[in-house]
Amino acid sequence: MNKNNVLSKFWGWINVAFMVAMILVMLLPYLHVLAKALNDGTDTMFGGITFYPRKLTFVNFSVLLNDASMIRAFFLSVARVILCTILGIIVQFSAAYALTRKDLPGCKQILLFLMIPMFFNGGIIPTYLLFVKVQLINNFWVYVLPGLCTFYNILIIKSYISASIPESIGESAVIDGANELIILFRIIFPLSLPVLATVALWVAVGNWNDWSTTLMYVTKEHLFTLQYKLMQLIKESERIQKLIQEAAISRDGAGAALSLKATPESLVSAQVIVTTIPIIIVYPFLQKYFIKGITLGAVKS
Amino acid sequence: MLNSTIIRIIHMKKQKGLGKLKKYVFLYILLLPSILLTLFFSYFPMPGLLVSFMDYDVFKGFNSPWIGLDNIKELFTMPMFLKATFNTLYISALNLAIAFPAPILFAILLNEIRGDLFKRFVQTVSYLPHFLSWIAVIGMAHSIYSTYGIVNDLRVSIGGEGTERIMFLADQALFVPNLIILNLWKTVGWNSVIYLAAIAGIDSALYEAASIDGAGKLKQCLCVTIPCIMPTAVILFILNIGNIFKDNFDLIYGLQNPFIDFETISTIVYKQGIAAGNYSMATAIGFVQGLIGFILVVLVNYFSKKVNDIALW
Repeated sequence: MNKNNVLSKFWGWINVAFMVAMILVMLLPYLHVLAKALNDGTDTMFGGITFYPRKLTFVNFSVLLNDASMIRAFFLSVARVILCTILGIIVQFSAAYALTRKDLPGCKQILLFLMIPMFFNGGIIPTYLLFVKVQLINNFWVYVLPGLCTFYNILIIKSYISASIPESIGESAVIDGANELIILFRIIFPLSLPVLATVALWVAVGNWNDWSTTLMYVTKEHLFTLQYKLMQLIKESERIQKLIQEAAISRDGAGAALSLKATPESLVSAQVIVTTIPIIIVYPFLQKYFIKGITLGAVKS
Repeated sequence: MLNSTIIRIIHMKKQKGLGKLKKYVFLYILLLPSILLTLFFSYFPMPGLLVSFMDYDVFKGFNSPWIGLDNIKELFTMPMFLKATFNTLYISALNLAIAFPAPILFAILLNEIRGDLFKRFVQTVSYLPHFLSWIAVIGMAHSIYSTYGIVNDLRVSIGGEGTERIMFLADQALFVPNLIILNLWKTVGWNSVIYLAAIAGIDSALYEAASIDGAGKLKQCLCVTIPCIMPTAVILFILNIGNIFKDNFDLIYGLQNPFIDFETISTIVYKQGIAAGNYSMATAIGFVQGLIGFILVVLVNYFSKKVNDIALW
């Protein structure tokens, strides 16, 4: 018995050590990038940067923010997130509420109609050809419209409403003389706020993080998002870095001079920080809302 | 007196009928945006799949000549497509072997942690990568793996001054391991949420009974926890099997660079279709991919129902 106890205590400590390692693995990469973003670019080239800047500077950020297209991309991304979140919640919440009303004629058919595309859809190229036809290519609305009606989110909101708000609330309100609009906005909406907060966060984060929409449907510089700018920087810097290295090996004098000036690496680090900082700042405070929805989904299935 | 009552009843009925209609009209109005958006963005592209049976010409559009199954037949003789399919399946298989069980293990271990505050902190931190974009994760990898980044520094400090500094992201042989590692790092925490919820739902009487029967921690885990989260795992496994012909475009395209030659189905659809304008071929690839994926889900679901009595529908 005693031996067993010691063993289980030992095991407990190993488990704690594992979890601490897990925390470090999750956090240290970000700290390293932050350190590089705040460190002098040419100094970074010598290596040895760990988790704090050795030569503190804000040059990397000022180079990035000096670029007018970067500021534009930032505001475009913010506008997209706000618009998508507000419109998305309106569309998805109203559909979800209507679908909880089992007395609605055709309710099942509409549900099926909305569900089928989850399993079978046209795919990238037919969608692209359609967008070409209706001029959504190089159009700001290509960021907003296609993602507004997400069936998965409708399901989450619907199952929350039917699980946590008894139908009798609506019925008693009808007896008291309330009409549908009042029931929806004064009763159902406030009671669904927890799930709406979760879905709104998902929509916001998803839109903020998306960059492949830009890659597929946008070629005009003035419509680029922040994430897409990061992608461009990474793709180019990989090439630049290799070229710099090769140049430094083959023609040591001129190559070395070039490599001192070009620091795509610190720029990428700074850009990673710029694109992720809104999420990093917001996440600890809204964490419970981020998580809540997925457990709702788990309960449902 | 009687008259007025009758009038009142008729009036009420009329109002009720009208009100009922009005009620439904309102609900249909609420549904209208979703229906229109789904119709437009999900159903309207579907006829576009016909492009894969055409020799599509941008200027002729849907008047392009029909060539039947030629595109699809040609696909199966194209080394590029076969290689991409193999790569996609290879990545999916590795992810099923590594990234699928990892969150289960993590959830079980996390459940054993006593301190509530510490547990919550681990959860919070491990979910964080899920909320970063793939390209930001790739950017971080870029920074960590760089020639004078922390991984190379570590290798040099362990191996001594002469150790060669590797460009991890420009090395063909390291591309697949990088994909697996980044995927694992980003998804392990978040994917454990559903298993943690399943574990939290287990009746504690089961553990008490097992403990009275003399089962230790390990035995309890094997005989109570794992069987109880099995249904959740099976459902997620079905979903994963259905997706083995899909790949993570954001991650793979983002990690590709001029020194890497590794294409998957989604990257050749993009490169052939949107970048090169070879619409017929790219649509055919997407069509075959979607069809096989759909058949797979149905099949796996069928067998799972037969064997385990667990199914999606």
